[in-house]
Amino acid sequence: MAKPAKKLVIVTEKVLLKKIATIIEEAGASGYTVLETGGKGSRNVRSTGHPNVSDTTTNIKFEVLTPDRLMAQTIASQVAEKYFTDFAGMIYLCDAEVLYGQSFCGPEGCGI
Amino acid sequence: MDFLSLFVMDFVKQLQSPTLAFLIGGMVIAALGSELVIPDAICTIIVFMLLTKIGLTGGIAIRNSNLTEMVLPMICAVIVGVIVVFIARYTLAKLPKVKVVDAIATGGLFGAVSGSTMAAGLTVLEEQNIPYEAWAGALYPFMDIPALVTAIVVANIYLNKKKRKEAAKALEQEAVSNQLVAAGDYPSSRQEYLRQQAPADNRVKIWPIIEESLRGPALSAMLLGLALGIFTQPDSVYKSFYDPLFRGLLSILMLVMGMEAWSRIGELRKVAQWYVVYSVVAPFLHGLIAFGLGMIAHYTTGFSMGGVVILAVIAASSSDISGPPTLRAGIPSANPSAYIGASTAIGTPIAIGLCIPFFLGLAQSLGG
Repeated sequence: MAKPAKKLVIVTEKVLLKKIATIIEEAGASGYTVLETGGKGSRNVRSTGHPNVSDTTTNIKFEVLTPDRLMAQTIASQVAEKYFTDFAGMIYLCDAEVLYGQSFCGPEGCGI
Repeated sequence: MDFLSLFVMDFVKQLQSPTLAFLIGGMVIAALGSELVIPDAICTIIVFMLLTKIGLTGGIAIRNSNLTEMVLPMICAVIVGVIVVFIARYTLAKLPKVKVVDAIATGGLFGAVSGSTMAAGLTVLEEQNIPYEAWAGALYPFMDIPALVTAIVVANIYLNKKKRKEAAKALEQEAVSNQLVAAGDYPSSRQEYLRQQAPADNRVKIWPIIEESLRGPALSAMLLGLALGIFTQPDSVYKSFYDPLFRGLLSILMLVMGMEAWSRIGELRKVAQWYVVYSVVAPFLHGLIAFGLGMIAHYTTGFSMGGVVILAVIAASSSDISGPPTLRAGIPSANPSAYIGASTAIGTPIAIGLCIPFFLGLAQSLGG
């Protein structure tokens, strides 16, 4: 049996990187992964590999594993309320099963 | 007539100079749909190299020069940076279909300085053998930071005022008709609702803005170079590495900027057309104000004509590296397509292509 968890995914603008990281840490998540991404949404195509000299058009994608839905919702609502009226952003939640991950499962392991 | 012929001659010469040629080349291949990609990492390192070189040049020069000469040009730079924002606030913002916050952000970006435009200006002056104070590059932060700070402060004052007015209006309406609530008056989303409930004033703190601009990639590279130039002996790396590579790297950066300018024009089309007019006129206007102030410094403290040209060029330039992220964070409600589009697609090519030869010609016809 693997340890059940929720995977919270936040896709937003790179300028918010540090601010969102702080919110995630304050909510008590044990860690997160950030990827640089691009794509198309309601605010035009972003980071399509066009050359650019500043980072304003780059998108990032946070992936956070949380032990329960509540923590994920706390993070999501804080991020959305603070930033998503003015910045591009998208948040969704998935079910996940953690197989390995010391910091997430604790010393007794994930239970496989 | 003398001035005009000088300008035309300079302009033709400029077209053949690597700086402008690569810029136009970049625009042309982007227009033709070229698949050429210059990796982002390379642009980052080029920006670092160029600004470190400018910083080192300045630092080495400051080491053996009289610092009091710098004071007046510095004050001029600060004045220009602040004025530019207010020009945008009282011209561009008043035009139809232009949102006030967008206009203020555009003003901030046009007041801020572009490291690459400045590098191009310095290269042109060197090519023409026009002497200038080597510390002139160090004027950069004195125009850049005041412009960004003023823009963010003015925008937030405006937004707070607007919010208070709306709050007062809402209260009035509530008093008049308690039951008559039109469906359209409801906030369209939960976020908007929460925003309306939020306390009306968010005061702007100036220091974090200054801190953020100082920490930006362009300014920190330049200040590092400046410090190293003043306090250490970097002459050997300067001569063997930073100085010889400067022009080559600048040409790559110009190519990238040309390509980016082209890809942004489409975005600008979606916002009001007035931005196009503003971004063509503003570089000249800002440059002329700086040129005038620089001339005062020229007659009173002997600021060189080359220095006056640099002051005018950095005033004409609009920030492309560190300005946009600072403004995006400082005035989140302004539309980045408007201000980044105006600056990158039109402002920068105009500043590099037309303003540099224009102010050079002006200086040559005035100063001989």
